[in-house]
Amino acid sequence: MTMSRMVLLAAVLVLAAGVAWAARPQPLTAAERVDRISAELRCPVCQGLSVADSPSETARSMRALVAQRVAEGRSDDEIRAEFVRSYGDWILLSPPLLSANGLVWLAPLLAIAFGTWLAWRRARAPAAVPAEITPAERAELGSLVAADDQ
Amino acid sequence: MTRLARYAAAAIILGLAVVLTLAFRRDPHDIKTGTVGKPAPAFALPSLADGSTVSLDAYKGKVVVLNFWSSWCIPCKEENPALVDAWERYRGTDVVLIGIVFQDTKDAARDYTARLGNTWISALDDDGRVALGYGVFGPPETYFIGADGVIAGRHIGPIDEQTLLTGIETLRKAARQ
Repeated sequence: MTMSRMVLLAAVLVLAAGVAWAARPQPLTAAERVDRISAELRCPVCQGLSVADSPSETARSMRALVAQRVAEGRSDDEIRAEFVRSYGDWILLSPPLLSANGLVWLAPLLAIAFGTWLAWRRARAPAAVPAEITPAERAELGSLVAADDQ
Repeated sequence: MTRLARYAAAAIILGLAVVLTLAFRRDPHDIKTGTVGKPAPAFALPSLADGSTVSLDAYKGKVVVLNFWSSWCIPCKEENPALVDAWERYRGTDVVLIGIVFQDTKDAARDYTARLGNTWISALDDDGRVALGYGVFGPPETYFIGADGVIAGRHIGPIDEQTLLTGIETLRKAARQ
């Protein structure tokens, strides 16, 4: 390897290390944790809105409860579990994989697997072989051509 | 359509039929997710009448009907006669009716109880924490709590007298056994 190539490789490695270091996970502030957990909870009185996005009184109460639990030093899982105890898994906008609602994650994977299998079967199927013409058909064709020539 | 495609279509239709049947079979007033079958979350709230503490612990061993209501809620007015009848029938017995004021002002709630003649206990849940603990979606919602302190049932929406009496009597019977 030439010197110039080694310098180029070193530069690329330094760049990659710099990007990886800059993008490392940062510890979240309390407010950021409240926002993140609120964004994962469903507002019970809204149509498909998260607690973070809803201006309703119920969502405000839920945000306040999340903020209080964060201030008390509860973990994210403990806070989510408190809402799940009251409302069931339904309260989580992204249902856990190992639950009845977790089927929403599995259904697309099953559909893709089924489609892939179907396509694979089609690709492997032998090409259609043209049927042989029978002697009777050959004779009929011959008579038609002869009639056409006259 | 190939045989395989026909089987796939039949499987999809059957799956859809199962999902829809299970979904439509469910009574929307009787959703059993969350707190049903679990111990009723304890609370101690100021009473609407005089600010004294209303605590669930004070009614241990009794059948408690917990009704979340608001003065602005029209279905709450619809169900009020059923609650009045139940209150008249069971007051002074082993059955307690407690109203929890949901997202309402004290003045509006007091005016409501005065106008409708509701004399059972109501408590103010100003920060909504009790409603969140019970998993309330919105008023009116009624919870049936047995003498063992476990939530036996929940009714979402306006409740009728028959549902109320059936829920109460089932729990009274269970308490006697």
